[in-house]
Amino acid sequence: MRYIRNFSIIAHIDHGKSTLADRLIQRCGGLSEREMSSQVLDSMDLERERGITIKAQTAALRYDARDGQTYRLNLIDTPGHVDFSYEVSRSLAACEGALLVVDASQGVEAQTVANCYTAIEQGVEVVPVLNKIDLPSADPDRARAEIEDVIGIDASAAILASAKTGEGVDDILEAVIARIPSPVGDPNAPLKALIIDSWFDNYVGVVMLVRVMDGSMRPKDRILLMSSGAQHLCEQVGVFTPKSAPCDRLSAGEVGFIISGIKELASAKVGDTVTLADRPATTPLAGFKEIKPQVFAGLYPTEVNQYDALRDALEKLRLNDASLRFEPEVSQALGFGFRCGFLGLLHMEIVQERLEREYDMDLVTTAPTVVYEVLLREGSVVRVENPAKLPDPSKVDEIREPIIRATVFVPQDYVGAVITLCELKRGSQHNMSYHGRQVQLVYDIPMSEVVIDFFDRLKSVSRGYASLDYEFLEYRPADVVKLDVLINGDRVDALSVIVHRASSQYRGRGLVTRMRELIPRQMFDVAIQAAIGSHIIARETVKAMRKNVLAKCYGGDISRKKKLLEKQKAGKKRMKQIGNVEVPQEAFLAVLRVEDN
Amino acid sequence: MTDRVIPIRLMGSMPASAPRPVAPPPLALYVHVPWCVRKCPYCDFNSHPQRGPLPEGPFLAALIAALEAALPDIWGRRVVSLFIGGGTPSLLSPQAVDGLLAAVRARLSCAPGMEITLEANPGTVEAARFAGFRAAGVNRLSLGVQSFADGQLRALGRIHDGDGARRALAIARKVFDRVNVDLMYALPGQTPELALADVETALAFDPTHLSCYELTIEPNTAFAHQPPALPDEDCAADIHDAIESRLLAAGWEHYEVSAYARPGHACTHNLNYWRFGDYLGIGPGAHSKLTMPDGIRRALRHPHPDAYLSRAGKSDFLQSQHRVPAEDLPVEFMLNALRLADGFEFELFEARTGLPFATLQSDLEGFAAQGLITLNEGRVRPTARGFRLANTMLAALLDRRHQQP
Repeated sequence: MRYIRNFSIIAHIDHGKSTLADRLIQRCGGLSEREMSSQVLDSMDLERERGITIKAQTAALRYDARDGQTYRLNLIDTPGHVDFSYEVSRSLAACEGALLVVDASQGVEAQTVANCYTAIEQGVEVVPVLNKIDLPSADPDRARAEIEDVIGIDASAAILASAKTGEGVDDILEAVIARIPSPVGDPNAPLKALIIDSWFDNYVGVVMLVRVMDGSMRPKDRILLMSSGAQHLCEQVGVFTPKSAPCDRLSAGEVGFIISGIKELASAKVGDTVTLADRPATTPLAGFKEIKPQVFAGLYPTEVNQYDALRDALEKLRLNDASLRFEPEVSQALGFGFRCGFLGLLHMEIVQERLEREYDMDLVTTAPTVVYEVLLREGSVVRVENPAKLPDPSKVDEIREPIIRATVFVPQDYVGAVITLCELKRGSQHNMSYHGRQVQLVYDIPMSEVVIDFFDRLKSVSRGYASLDYEFLEYRPADVVKLDVLINGDRVDALSVIVHRASSQYRGRGLVTRMRELIPRQMFDVAIQAAIGSHIIARETVKAMRKNVLAKCYGGDISRKKKLLEKQKAGKKRMKQIGNVEVPQEAFLAVLRVEDN
Repeated sequence: MTDRVIPIRLMGSMPASAPRPVAPPPLALYVHVPWCVRKCPYCDFNSHPQRGPLPEGPFLAALIAALEAALPDIWGRRVVSLFIGGGTPSLLSPQAVDGLLAAVRARLSCAPGMEITLEANPGTVEAARFAGFRAAGVNRLSLGVQSFADGQLRALGRIHDGDGARRALAIARKVFDRVNVDLMYALPGQTPELALADVETALAFDPTHLSCYELTIEPNTAFAHQPPALPDEDCAADIHDAIESRLLAAGWEHYEVSAYARPGHACTHNLNYWRFGDYLGIGPGAHSKLTMPDGIRRALRHPHPDAYLSRAGKSDFLQSQHRVPAEDLPVEFMLNALRLADGFEFELFEARTGLPFATLQSDLEGFAAQGLITLNEGRVRPTARGFRLANTMLAALLDRRHQQP
């Protein structure tokens, strides 16, 4: 165990995490550069063809150190987005150390800081690395000062490196050995292994990536998953080098995979503890959480007959995405579809895109919404994931909305703009501190506001410099109302949104204006109205189409015209027929595009 | 070993023998001249800026070679019209045009007094040249004026100004009995009043035909990369309506979506397209549609002048050709015929496509119910609304085609 080091890399997107990971793998591979790249890529392609999701950066590396010893370095990947902060915390829990990689020309970003705090809270040793020092704009001194100022760790010994040129890579590996403690754990105690990640493989079922804390395990052991109590027979254990390599046992301090014939990804929850059925641990490892979706949206096929195909596609996606939730839903306007729960907006976009690209689905997505808690007069509390299902106001005592705590890092020049934005989004300031040229703002903001367009707006008011991290804080009572949209007099349930009463008038007006722009002209006038209860607060009309025949049709070249018609037809595929009105998919998301005043 | 039966699947729903039109329709001849002084930013036609003098000799030889290669396909058929388009055909010398027309007359049977149109650019006009074209046999001139407003002409990248357009039109009118003026509307910043001013100016020269095209942004043009600010849909429709009422009041006929004519002066050549007639196209990028014993065949020549010239007369001088599948015919027919104010006779559909009129019946009844067409006295005629919303009908037909098994 003395010669094992478990570590991960904390970095902002684009700060060079993958390149550095590749370099480390390459350095420890003991192969020539050319052999290395072709071998790794080949094996990965093969794996990909077989449908295995490989984490290229999860690798058990052998490193011959300057002290003459051979070390086993386990590099554990961390996901890089705010939607997946729980997974990040589990990855870090499996490590004794982390490389904090900061782009020497860009400095510290919010995401990095949040992950770094998580690491420090868990007692993980943080080793700062200043990457991209080969860039002319690199300013290591300033980056170093920023790390000390913002994160509050000593950065004087930060390693200067360039993953691109390979400079400093050996220094990093030596620092991993010198500065990151070796794992502690009792190989003879009952087994305790932390599930860092899990995924579904078409051939072997669920693969669990684990860090063994105590004890050891080998094939043919009966394992027990402590959160569910389910037992399985361990079929195989091994490590990723990054190719998968079976071995005969995993012991305390080691990182590797377990295959045990589990069919449902949901049974192998990230953060859960694996122990042995014969000799179970008394308590599970701390920090396990059931992941709860934070954002919900309705997904409907544009063609009614695609409902079954959509269900199949969602089921297949869930095989490899335990955090995806869905259940059937019926909308008067959109027909049969599914209400899906996501970790966040990015997660939602990924799912939507995969459904469209990999499963060739044509979808209508309703505006994402957060989960409201509604206290009814009769005393019970219901969770509302679909605005159309908000109980009648006469039965409601109180509606509570989720509040998040958002941490924003932004250069001083843009602080004013970011504060204005946060206030506009009904945020209340919790903290504000200056760190060199960066300012850290902490705001409590209703999650519904963040779901809408907060991130895009934040990027635009800060010219892309601001970075955001957030976590769920609590539910708070809120004065919200349901805003309905009527098309040619018919209420369209899929277009209902829950908004704050104070901004309802203006949102209603903005929404119908936006929809008028998005709904194409039809053969007749289309009236779009916004209503709260029976009270109409805004109206716009899409005038009937007057002319659509092409002016030019030239010299017998019929192909061009046909192509154009085909294109128009393809555009229509993304339309949903509501009554006799054709509504494009963007219109269902119009509420996301209403500008604040 | 057992015999394996390989099932033969026919394309789509095409019957074993493709529908065969009863008699071949009228045949027109189109000649494409691919050169321009420079490329206009809205233009997506097959035109190429001219560098140095035109290779008139090789071009003429290539055209004649293409014509001769096509003769077996049109054997014995009389040509009803000839159209020399471009590009800027008026860049050709009168001698070249004379040579071309002489070659056509020598090889094809031409209807007596048949319409022979040449497209010209106001920037390339000289009186002597026009007289030369006239002497060669051209009897109709189509002048690409687009607008008389200097600002608009500059925005459109034209090489002439308003005065140049007026001068060219005056000369054209003196030399030719039949003159068409191409105008564009819905230009950047244009109002109905400004558009009407262009129409008035054109009318003052007493042309026989006006083509009024709405400026549309086509892919792969300079305008597509840097789109100008065009009037909105309603303004464009207002301009269209204003032009139409002005010309109807002057006794003109609005016989096709973009074409207006003084009575008796509709363009024979273009009418042949709209009525789904046949045409043989020669020259770079020219399209042909010919009714053959095995069905309707469409062909495209190599578009680039150099490729065309180097391949002329060889076996691979067509870039592509295909037989139109039966299920495409209704849409292709309607795409053309619905552009005509008078619509078409039921029999015309059967004669041109070889399909029974019943193929269209249910769709047409649907369109009639929506007030887009009338079905009276054996004729399909668009209503005023249907005349403007032809794409709605075409899209529905296209949809139907895709639903067929």
